[in-house]
Amino acid sequence: MRVLSLLRRNVPACSRRNSFAWFCTDNGDGLQSSRVKIFDRQLKRTQRNRAAWLMRQKDSLLDTVAENLLDRLEDCKKTFPTALCLGGSLEAIRRLLRGHGAIEKLVMMDASHDMVEFCKNAEQRSPNDKIETTFVVGDEEFLPIKESSVDLVISCLGLHWTNDLPGAMIQSRLALKPDGLFLAAILGGETLKELRIACTVAQMEREGGISPRVSPLAQVRDAGNLLTRAGFTLPGVDVDEYIVKYESALELIEHLRAMGETNALLQRNTILKRDTALATAAIYNEMFAAEDGTVPATFQVIYMTGWKEHPSQQKAKRRGSATISFQDIQKHLGSQD
Amino acid sequence: MVKLSGALLQNAGTELGSLRKTLSEILVCPLTKQPLRYCEKKNSLISDAVGVSFPIKNGIPCLVPRDGKILEEEDASKPEGTTNSSARNEENQG
Repeated sequence: MRVLSLLRRNVPACSRRNSFAWFCTDNGDGLQSSRVKIFDRQLKRTQRNRAAWLMRQKDSLLDTVAENLLDRLEDCKKTFPTALCLGGSLEAIRRLLRGHGAIEKLVMMDASHDMVEFCKNAEQRSPNDKIETTFVVGDEEFLPIKESSVDLVISCLGLHWTNDLPGAMIQSRLALKPDGLFLAAILGGETLKELRIACTVAQMEREGGISPRVSPLAQVRDAGNLLTRAGFTLPGVDVDEYIVKYESALELIEHLRAMGETNALLQRNTILKRDTALATAAIYNEMFAAEDGTVPATFQVIYMTGWKEHPSQQKAKRRGSATISFQDIQKHLGSQD
Repeated sequence: MVKLSGALLQNAGTELGSLRKTLSEILVCPLTKQPLRYCEKKNSLISDAVGVSFPIKNGIPCLVPRDGKILEEEDASKPEGTTNSSARNEENQG
């Protein structure tokens, strides 16, 4: 780390490049970037392009998550005239918005052009009343949004594919107006645990070794840290687990494809032997199948809420500013018994 | 390089009008977070700070850094913009 930063200083300054390197979370330069790259973002774009064509009309899992996320807007008295909706299940958010949060202006962004195009066509077929919607193709890691310009950033199941999640969240915070709300749902570490196990066992059995087939995901405890690290105030995290039942493991993979949630690890194994795939399906069925013959798959969704700081928000009082002792309170309460 | 004037915009479709409005209110260059400029001739958004143009496909601006093209010297209002090409943008040039 230290060596890298020294090297950076010695690089003859290509000053303009450095000048924009400050603003972005990744400059694609091996020497300057000290971050690890885990996901192949370009592949993810391609997968999401494919998902735009495979997508089901109504996906109950995505709809449930989107609805749960949008429900949170009802809990705030505040209204959100301008909102930015980041990748993931864009279409579900747009469809289920129905006046939640009194949004007047909506910017929908995804890294996949086909996905955005799909949303745009859907918007033209069934326009949301009174919501002015614009569409942008953009990358969460390079958010093309002006500072302090939106009241709400909402991201439904998209941020777990970013290499630099804190960076993406910091950029979201910058895009928010003071007292703006950041609302995100990401998949948590318990997601697809059955598939993870089945893949490992099958690969051990058929190939004598394992390679990552299911991507690493954030743990619940990380989510709170992420929000604090990104500088959000009043952070809140909660977790929900959904069990989806499939006829077989093959249907599960099909569903993952339609959601654009298939493996996009940079260090993934690009070869999947037919033998291993079938063994995985068989093991999945053997280990986890329910009595009625369906196989369950767990999806753990972490919901994160955070606000951009504003003087009107509640905060802890200064240390030592209390005028009443806890002992007095105890005495007072004790006397009532 | 034709800068967009108000008169031209009124003639343009509503899509363009709303794009311009969003552009001025919300959208910026993803790399520098500086304002973008609409270029009518090439139907693209130009970030003068780094000399990169982002295409608009079907009325949807594509602001992923990988989609950007480094501007040729005669196009860029600031010629030095062409020198700071990042490797990934060079791949897409042409």
